[in-house]
Amino acid sequence: MQKSSIRKFLGNKITWLYLLSIGLVLGALLLGLFVSSVQFPIMTILHIVLDKSFGLGWLENIPRNEELIIWNIRLPRVILALCVGASLSLAGAAFQGLLRNPLADPYTIGVSSGAALGAVFVIFFQFTIIGLGSFTLPVVAIISGFITLGIVFGLVRLSSRSLAIETIILAGIIIGAFIGAITSLLISLGDRDAMTQIMYWLYGSVGMRGWSHVQLVIPFIIVGAIILLMHYRELNALALGEEAADHIGVNVKRGKIMVLIGASLLTGAAVAVSGSIGFVGLVIPHLVRLLTGPNHRHLLPLSMLFGGSFLILADLLARTIIAPKELPIGVITALIGAPVFAILLVRERIGRGERG
Amino acid sequence: MIKVERLAGGYGKKPIVQDIDLEIEKGEFFALLGPNGSGKTTLFKLITGQLPILSGDIFITGKAVSKLTKLEKARKVAVLSQEVQMTFDYTVEEIVSLGRYPHQKGLFKILSSYDRQVIDSVMKITNVERYRKTNFRLLSGGEKQRVLLAKALAQEPEILLLDEPTNHLDIKHTFHMLDLLKEWQQTKGLTIFAILHDLNVASLYADRVALLHEGSFLEVGDVNTLRKEQQLKQVYEVEVHAQAHPFVPKPQLHLTPTHAYEPEEAPLAERFQVERVEEIAHLRFYQPLRSLSNATVGEGVQWLQHFCLLKGRVHSKQSLLDGLEEYGIPPEQAAAIGFNGNLQHVVISERPFLDSQLLVVAAIEASDNVDAIHLMLFINGQLSDKALFDGYMAATEAKVKACQRFQLGAVQSAKDVLLIAGTQVESQLYDLEPIIFREGIEQAVIAVLKEAFEKIGGSVDD
Repeated sequence: MQKSSIRKFLGNKITWLYLLSIGLVLGALLLGLFVSSVQFPIMTILHIVLDKSFGLGWLENIPRNEELIIWNIRLPRVILALCVGASLSLAGAAFQGLLRNPLADPYTIGVSSGAALGAVFVIFFQFTIIGLGSFTLPVVAIISGFITLGIVFGLVRLSSRSLAIETIILAGIIIGAFIGAITSLLISLGDRDAMTQIMYWLYGSVGMRGWSHVQLVIPFIIVGAIILLMHYRELNALALGEEAADHIGVNVKRGKIMVLIGASLLTGAAVAVSGSIGFVGLVIPHLVRLLTGPNHRHLLPLSMLFGGSFLILADLLARTIIAPKELPIGVITALIGAPVFAILLVRERIGRGERG
Repeated sequence: MIKVERLAGGYGKKPIVQDIDLEIEKGEFFALLGPNGSGKTTLFKLITGQLPILSGDIFITGKAVSKLTKLEKARKVAVLSQEVQMTFDYTVEEIVSLGRYPHQKGLFKILSSYDRQVIDSVMKITNVERYRKTNFRLLSGGEKQRVLLAKALAQEPEILLLDEPTNHLDIKHTFHMLDLLKEWQQTKGLTIFAILHDLNVASLYADRVALLHEGSFLEVGDVNTLRKEQQLKQVYEVEVHAQAHPFVPKPQLHLTPTHAYEPEEAPLAERFQVERVEEIAHLRFYQPLRSLSNATVGEGVQWLQHFCLLKGRVHSKQSLLDGLEEYGIPPEQAAAIGFNGNLQHVVISERPFLDSQLLVVAAIEASDNVDAIHLMLFINGQLSDKALFDGYMAATEAKVKACQRFQLGAVQSAKDVLLIAGTQVESQLYDLEPIIFREGIEQAVIAVLKEAFEKIGGSVDD
């Protein structure tokens, strides 16, 4: 039976990809914890992590400061990078499937600009909401992200009852451009100090956030990811076009709204805690698609895993290249992402030429 | 299966289709016909649910379509439309699997083993199995359409709606696809509702057709509806002639373009040349003639340019074809008669005929008796099919009369070939006076035969 053996082989290939990506995540996590200005033995790191999380430590006499550095500084940083990378990649894959446009990314529909504006607002006016403290910034960012999603939705609904893809993209770009202009306005009005701070925030970083940000972002990621993973069949069906999807029984409108909400949850939360880290959400889904094919059943979870480990490694580079200073993580992802993106563009054009 | 009652609907408030009443039985192949803009696609989209119904009702298996959920509907109705736009490089198998969407259950909606079984079987039937892992976008148009059909069949529908499914396909793939559908219809009782462009294809495959004109049905009936030339002319604004299919009892339509064939005005004598050598007498016309004959090569009604008597070669069609090839005459534009007499005795005589001309060629095979009389008649004028047959009859009768009058005894006429052809130059030779037309032919044939009998040395008692 040749066919079943082929199927088995492909099944194995997917299994291997899952194993590989999980291994990659674990490896990246460890590497992220290990590589730094002050290095600790791997065993110490493992002990601290396992002891703190599961009470499974086996070493005695670990210095308190080592424990603090690993548990309170490095671990939340790599976990946050993992979460943000996974969110952006998953959202990117979903947006590309939903908008049937391989060049879409989590920032296409403007939610991120809204979240960024909220953050810039907080930095600019230096205010804190009582009871939230340093939490003010991400909370305001997430809220303004959702306000933006609401505005985009409103605009789309007003101009197209069926939520046409083109309208969604256009509305996203319009709102994004408008909010971007306000952000620029705030930057140009601010003093030099605020300006540097804002610019730095906009480029994105996962450093110096602590556990509070991880705790903030995780519920959004869980909800967003579940929503998207449950709609993988709808995303596959949409590749045939909305009419064809409707013909096989897909509730296209509801599917689109759910995917938009899920992907926006992920994007808004990621931007709120880490700034606008570009290219992860664009390039990772493409790379994964090259490995698995476009079937969203595997594309979505694998994008999460690959995106997460990619961002941990990018963050690692960002903080080691010119240590002890740090590069904005967005710079690293763009430096890697832009050339990859360019290659994909050229590939796409050549591909079209071959077909046409 | 599908019932439509007083349906009206379209884009916006103004209905594009209205007063649509329709009932399609289970297992029926129903074709929706009509020109562009007549509302075919609108009606189609009203049935698939893409467009809102303004008034009236559509029932599918007895249930109002508005009461069915999308999933319930997709389990009963599958749609195959024109070529789709495909994003990303999905494999054929992944696309066919999408057809199982409305049947999938459970939280994670993974393909069950029954789903896989259905997918495998529909891929086998549509003959796309070998493309299982191929990228859909790399397939040819015909293959793509077969894959989409497989997807539609994977829905295990009771009703299949087709919107010009063969639009981008060549003849081979059109027939393959429709044969496949027809088989599925007949073996599984699938109900098919299809928009078809090609009236001839619709006539061959549909059980019933509906003719849509300016948003409402002009007629609903079996394919013999397509024999109503006037009605089709009104709808399509094209000159239409219904003809019989040679093997299938269904009408086939001949369409006449505005810039149709117009033969040059010229007297008959200037329309052809004769070449008479040892083995062949060859009349070559400069423009084709519409001809009717029982010649071995060039039988039936045809447009022909070459008319030949070939010496010997009476035994088989192949020997005639070989002869034509020898003289460089294209057999598909030629009528050829095997002739056992002396070619020098063949009479070729042009004479006035009504207000035009008639050319008669008479070739007699004779040894002791007259063995065969071959006649070819060429009329410079427009001959309808009826005129051709009338002329044919007149010539046959004239031949019999001539034999009697010249007392040739028992003529063995089993081998006789008769051919009549018209140049189709605009004229009213026949339409005005059919009786005079027939008489004229009779007289001409008798006169020419007389000449021919004299030539072979027969004494003709007049």
